[in-house]
Amino acid sequence: MSSLGDYFATDWAAMTPQDWVGTILTVVVFLLMVGLYFYALRPRNRDRLEAQRFIPFDDEPFESGDKR
Amino acid sequence: MDYQQSERTYDFDVIRWFSIMAVVYLVVGTLVGVYIAAELAWPALNLDSPYLSFGRLRPLHTNAVIFAFGGCTLMGTSFYSVQRTCGTALWSSKMAWFTFWGWNLVIVLAVITLPLGLTQAKEYAELEWPVDILIAVVWLSYLFNFVMTISIRKSSHIYVSNWFFLGMLVMITYLHVVNSLAVPVSLFKSYSIFSGVQDAMIQWWWGHNAVGFYLTAGFLGIMYYFVPKQANRPIYSYRLSVVHFWALMFGYVWLGAHHLHYTALPDWTGSLGAGISLAMIIPSWGGAINGMMTLSGAWDKLRTDYVLRFMIASLACYAMSTFEGPVMSLKSVNALSHYTDWTIGHVHSGALGWVLMVAVGALYHMVTRLWNTEMYSTRLVNVHFWLTTIGTCIYIVAMWVSGIMQGLMWRAYDDYGTLAYTFAESVEAMHPYYAMRVVGGACIVIGAIIMLYNVVMTVRKATADGRLGETGTVPADA
Repeated sequence: MSSLGDYFATDWAAMTPQDWVGTILTVVVFLLMVGLYFYALRPRNRDRLEAQRFIPFDDEPFESGDKR
Repeated sequence: MDYQQSERTYDFDVIRWFSIMAVVYLVVGTLVGVYIAAELAWPALNLDSPYLSFGRLRPLHTNAVIFAFGGCTLMGTSFYSVQRTCGTALWSSKMAWFTFWGWNLVIVLAVITLPLGLTQAKEYAELEWPVDILIAVVWLSYLFNFVMTISIRKSSHIYVSNWFFLGMLVMITYLHVVNSLAVPVSLFKSYSIFSGVQDAMIQWWWGHNAVGFYLTAGFLGIMYYFVPKQANRPIYSYRLSVVHFWALMFGYVWLGAHHLHYTALPDWTGSLGAGISLAMIIPSWGGAINGMMTLSGAWDKLRTDYVLRFMIASLACYAMSTFEGPVMSLKSVNALSHYTDWTIGHVHSGALGWVLMVAVGALYHMVTRLWNTEMYSTRLVNVHFWLTTIGTCIYIVAMWVSGIMQGLMWRAYDDYGTLAYTFAESVEAMHPYYAMRVVGGACIVIGAIIMLYNVVMTVRKATADGRLGETGTVPADA
């Protein structure tokens, strides 16, 4: 292997429809994941998401001293 | 909600049975593990019986600890936590009982068929096709009941532990069905529909995802519910748990190819598997830190709460093994580690350190809640913790040393390009470490037996105190 260019070289003409479906799906799912990270880590969504931390304590007394 | 209210609201009977059977299978599975470890150190222990040979008992050990102990733990904890986080009883109690009896029937069939040598010879998927069909039916009943319970929830949000359980349930259905596709030639014999390198790739796509979705995602579901409950503090960061979940779901499915470096599998496939393995360190450590930081400001709880010790130690081991795995997936490291005991050490650092410890912590927690009592002996819980910790350390250190020595001996050449050691010499060099592994495993088994005794005595105490009727219902005057 002489270079990274050789390593990543792709014979696009040899791609089958199955290859294309897989490739496109993978990229779309990856982008969705990145979008989800953006949503989860966006400061304005912080309070809404962090409020869900207390769900396990909805049916039992909560004694840690933290404010809910 | 007090105990009586929760008994009226939720369906706990089947969970009590899953919990008890999980502890029983822990004893059985680890006992078989120690026996086969002893066989490797002292081969005469196979007693010249094919039914007791390593090749037949090894899959029995893996099936017992992964699917019997791990399965009962996952089903019990997920049915318990989904009810409590959704504020509703199980969608169908009858279907949960079907799952319980069906899963136990699978285990009984494994105990019968594997020592008889009836196997598909696919790792972690050894059971023959009729049992595979039964597994699929029972697993689907588990999935359907879990999803339907979520669908009738009282809360608006689905708590993150349920997402992890759901991820496991969906992916294991898909993985099990595809990997088990086979052509039956008789009632007890079938051949995979895949062949050659494709068969190998499908096998390790399943094999690594059994680790990734069953032993990791499922047990992370346990962690995200039971660590906050036992610590009595909410999870450190809910946002981090969301990122952890989606990164795990996206990343894990790619990793299987790193089991097939230097084989007929295309080189780029293994490199892709290794590359994403490395990337997985980030979410894995994020999750481990999230769990451990839940104790931030309350570390003193570890001094007195032995159950919490199990859970926090498990997270440390989770972080360690999810760092070691990606390192071992690198081709240069893999060239040394593959086919050696280092792999066995790595698997057990995750299985004993992470899966066993977090499961045991959750089971102790559930037993006290399900039987409305304290453990019979907290001192024995502490003894169990130290036996498991010491046993795990002895086991994995023995396998690390043994594995690296194996790898180095196999690749050593002299000045003439001839192998420096014969294979038999490498086997002989392993003997002290194989004996050491038996000691480590024995610690785990003794700990498991202590746990079983402690749980049985706790149940008996609760029944004697009238805290729980024999049928699992609360007496009217309790």
